[in-house]
Amino acid sequence: MTREVSVELQNVIKKYGQDKVVDQVSFSVEKGEVFVLIGPSGCGKTTTLKMINQLIPHTSGNILVNGTDVTKLDVVELRRSIGYVIQYIGLLPHLTIQENIAFVLKLTRHPKKNQKERAEELIEIVGLELNHLKRYPRELSGGQQQRVGVARALAANPDILLMDEPFGAVDPLTREQLQNELLRLQESIQKTIVFVTHDMQEAFKIGSRIGILREGKLVCLGSPMEIVKSEDEFVKNFIGQGALFEVFDTIPVSKILEKNVPLVHDNEKVDLTAEKLNDWENVFVVDSDGNCQGYIPLSSLEKDGSFQKDKINPLPKATFSDTSVKLAVEEMLWGGRTWLPVVDGHSSFKGIVQFRSCARLLDLEGR
Amino acid sequence: MIDLISSAWAYFMNRQDLMFIVLREHVMLVLWSTFFTVIIGVPLGIAISRTEKLRDLVLGSVSILYTIPILALFGFLIPIIGIGSTPALIALVIYGLLPVIRNSCVGITQVHPLLKESAKGMGANNMQLLFKVEIPLAFPVIFAGIRTALVMNFSLATYAVFIGAGGMGRIIMQGIRTFNTGMMLAGILMVVITTVLLERLVGYVDNRVQKRYSLSD
Repeated sequence: MTREVSVELQNVIKKYGQDKVVDQVSFSVEKGEVFVLIGPSGCGKTTTLKMINQLIPHTSGNILVNGTDVTKLDVVELRRSIGYVIQYIGLLPHLTIQENIAFVLKLTRHPKKNQKERAEELIEIVGLELNHLKRYPRELSGGQQQRVGVARALAANPDILLMDEPFGAVDPLTREQLQNELLRLQESIQKTIVFVTHDMQEAFKIGSRIGILREGKLVCLGSPMEIVKSEDEFVKNFIGQGALFEVFDTIPVSKILEKNVPLVHDNEKVDLTAEKLNDWENVFVVDSDGNCQGYIPLSSLEKDGSFQKDKINPLPKATFSDTSVKLAVEEMLWGGRTWLPVVDGHSSFKGIVQFRSCARLLDLEGR
Repeated sequence: MIDLISSAWAYFMNRQDLMFIVLREHVMLVLWSTFFTVIIGVPLGIAISRTEKLRDLVLGSVSILYTIPILALFGFLIPIIGIGSTPALIALVIYGLLPVIRNSCVGITQVHPLLKESAKGMGANNMQLLFKVEIPLAFPVIFAGIRTALVMNFSLATYAVFIGAGGMGRIIMQGIRTFNTGMMLAGILMVVITTVLLERLVGYVDNRVQKRYSLSD
């Protein structure tokens, strides 16, 4: 099945005089994915982004938005159909938050009532309160302004969002919060997002695919895991040491959760002939309600598979299924363990995560 | 000294009708000249903010006009247009143009490029960009230019009497000619007090404007 392509660049070149700032760049962004463009400053990532909504016209090559060549579209209409988010200073200081959010609707002459309703709807979606609408941008913190920036881009309900280092000017804590919120928001709105950043951690965190640019050329393109495994010297240097951990930070343990662990009811014997036991050191004891009581090492079992209740070890502190692999590994290292039990939001036992499956993650293709 | 002031006061009380007439002439002259200054200066300032070549040319020539003493300018205008309020108006407009054009141009060019770009990125066309983003954001600077022109023209309009356009200068001139110190002083005080009041008033409005539009707190 081929997925729908929202934005496509074909051999795009941008020249300023004789300098090629973007050189033969081709990629396609699928509908609903977060595509991150990253690279050192001056690599052409922002230029590439701005060519999509033609803030910067390209010199040659084709840029297709929803299958149509952008040069064949009216540039104002094109921009109105694409959400555009920049650093928070992009809010218009002479307009209230409500007017800022509804700016695109104002440009397209929507009735005042619609503008107000849409602003009220969006301010809550981005996690601010209704009373912020009457304020001016300068009265809000950087993080709040950035949220308004996102709300503003969503006002006309575009399918595509272009984000140019949107979280570059806020402090690290706020940035992380905004990234989490963007991911949460993206789950419900499912926009196609092209995101420019210079922060590799951010790229790994929010990107479903990442394109690395260097001197105008696309040198690497793939999922975070593919990027980490790249053999290219420049890419290796650019993403730096410890990048693998950053990727692990973005993968939930549910990805490598082992659900099929050997279980035994607390009043039964372990079936020692079961083939399943071969790979395991422990058996997990559950009560009649399915709650896990603890585990017994195979070595502590009697010859016939029965066991005494006092041999049951309590489970170590469990991790949640949406915790990142990085945190789980840390937890294992701190506790000196090779595995952790995993519970879901209601603290019921889902299975375990093992150190060796973390190690195998690298072999998994993509996310 | 007290004699002088009381004679000025006596003159003022006796000739309230005349005082009112000259004040009205003066204010009308200033209002009209400021009106034309804004009508010509603001669009011109915005226009030259787009092209650097034109900017140097226009600002250069307006600065030269600005340095001509007002009496010389009157001498230049009388043979062409004659006397009366029209040449006075033209002279005042010429003086007011420099601050208005310069501030309009500076105000527009000072609008942060990122703001313009974000408005463009959201799909503002050129007109919307100008009227919904650039002019509102440049407004405090443009207004400061208008303020300068207004206050300057108010005091310059005292010279309008030399070209037969009346105004408060009439009282002063007549007082000097007739050695009527009470009359002369009444005129001077009136000019000084009204100018200070006007300056205060526009200053207050200006403060409000700056606060309303300022980017920082």
